[in-house]
Amino acid sequence: MSYRMLNQWVGPIIFIALSVVPLLLGIGYALLYSLGLTGIINNGFTLAHWHTLLQDASFWETIGFSLVVALSTMVISIALALGLVLREPTRFQRPIPSFLMYMPLAIPAIVMAFFIFQMFAKGGWLSRIAFQLKIIPELQSFPDLINDNLGIGIIVSHILMAVPFLVLFFTNIYQNEDIDAYRKLAFTMGTSRKMSLWYVQLPMLLRPAQPTLFLYFLFVMGSYEIPLLLGSQSKQMIAVLTIQKMQRYNLADIPQAYAISVAYTVVVILLLYIMVWVSQKNRSYDP
Amino acid sequence: MTRKLSRLALWVIVLFPFGFILTLSFGQRWPYPRLFPQSWTLSNWIEIGQSGAGITSSFWLSLSLSLSVAIIATTLSFWGSRQIAFHPQKQVLLRFAYFPYVFAPVILAACLQYFFVRSGLYGQLAGVLIAQLCITIPYGLLFFSSFWNPKRKAMEESVYTLGGNVWQAYRMVLIPTARPTILTCFFQLFLISWFEYGLTQLIGVGKVDTLTLRVFQYVNESNIFLAALASVLLIMPPIVLLWLNKRYIFRLNTNKDLL
Repeated sequence: MSYRMLNQWVGPIIFIALSVVPLLLGIGYALLYSLGLTGIINNGFTLAHWHTLLQDASFWETIGFSLVVALSTMVISIALALGLVLREPTRFQRPIPSFLMYMPLAIPAIVMAFFIFQMFAKGGWLSRIAFQLKIIPELQSFPDLINDNLGIGIIVSHILMAVPFLVLFFTNIYQNEDIDAYRKLAFTMGTSRKMSLWYVQLPMLLRPAQPTLFLYFLFVMGSYEIPLLLGSQSKQMIAVLTIQKMQRYNLADIPQAYAISVAYTVVVILLLYIMVWVSQKNRSYDP
Repeated sequence: MTRKLSRLALWVIVLFPFGFILTLSFGQRWPYPRLFPQSWTLSNWIEIGQSGAGITSSFWLSLSLSLSVAIIATTLSFWGSRQIAFHPQKQVLLRFAYFPYVFAPVILAACLQYFFVRSGLYGQLAGVLIAQLCITIPYGLLFFSSFWNPKRKAMEESVYTLGGNVWQAYRMVLIPTARPTILTCFFQLFLISWFEYGLTQLIGVGKVDTLTLRVFQYVNESNIFLAALASVLLIMPPIVLLWLNKRYIFRLNTNKDLL
């Protein structure tokens, strides 16, 4: 095989070997395990694990909870980031503000979870401030902001990580799409500030951002470290539930864990299809 | 005035986590309801300098693992992305590259555990390295996919027309042209590996004791001061990389005001 031929084929082969093959192997193994066709306690083909899982209300709660956490994070983060960028569009193009916005991106999820834990826990910093200001009489009076059923700690952590990223992302789009020129053009044509915001700036920012925002949504939905540290035992996010079921001593839980992995894959594929469909529909409206 | 105050509030929110975690790393006792630790110590930091300290070995392990992952993944994805960029099935292949991320790396690792056990890589550093390559190489391919365009292809082909070989095309034309992109990709792949927790914990079974695992271990042990120290060590290299990388960020803005 000549060097040029090697150069032509090795790339796709490495990519397929390290990305596509593990993905297909993983999902294939999870499907077989969930159908009782492989694994320690396999007794031949069965739909029992799927039946148990789909009848289990806590599974649907987990899916719903993961969706709600991801959706809340995205809505709040997008609103905050848009507010910051549209207030002063050129601000985050300057070196020092942009560098300061990059800094939170250096905080890993596990450290952010630890920070929020130290802030929001009953014995955390906010509770201590509240006590010193005599807002609460004792430690127990501080509300449950972490390990709670509403996922407040999880959402706040994700927001603190998402907002700097989105500010830089929207600033980049604002600059690349030259939105300021369109805004000024809209003013010369007699539009108000409000109309320019709703009909020019927001659509021009949000339309090219759709795929990235959607991928970030999926990233939050599948997050692990933050809900592991800040989530509650009764309401778990999908990745935490999967891993906990897989690592329990009860062997009957393992096929269900694999079934959850496959079900999550199906949910993600469905959501991806919706995203592609929406973006194609939007594109078809373009002149 | 309101605008100045809101700017100040923004910078306080951005910088506060860094200050808070750094402060905690020097703490020793922090009884409720004190706002700051009761006593301060340098002993946690001095311990880092001792060769036998667990946290120090975790730091060097994480650093060598992340550097290895970043070097291998950047090299392979730069090389591979060139072929994929001009492949007839480019769109399908690139779509696959998104999947390790949208499926959550930790769930992918859970589904792959069996294969790592069978291959004897379970609980091994090599296993964690390969598992991390499975998520960093697709990222690298996506990152470089926009680099390859008809202009770059024409540049490469002109090398062959002038009698050069593939090695010369890469060494003298493609790599020098792509240097800033390669560096940025290297930084980002380093960070993906450096921040990784779930996949490392599952495939390494806790035996590959990286810094992220240390933070979690200290939090579980309620040793918040060592958890803060490990967190500072986790944040430091990315900040240094950002500082180095800022040359590229700043270069775009040289003719603008600093503030």
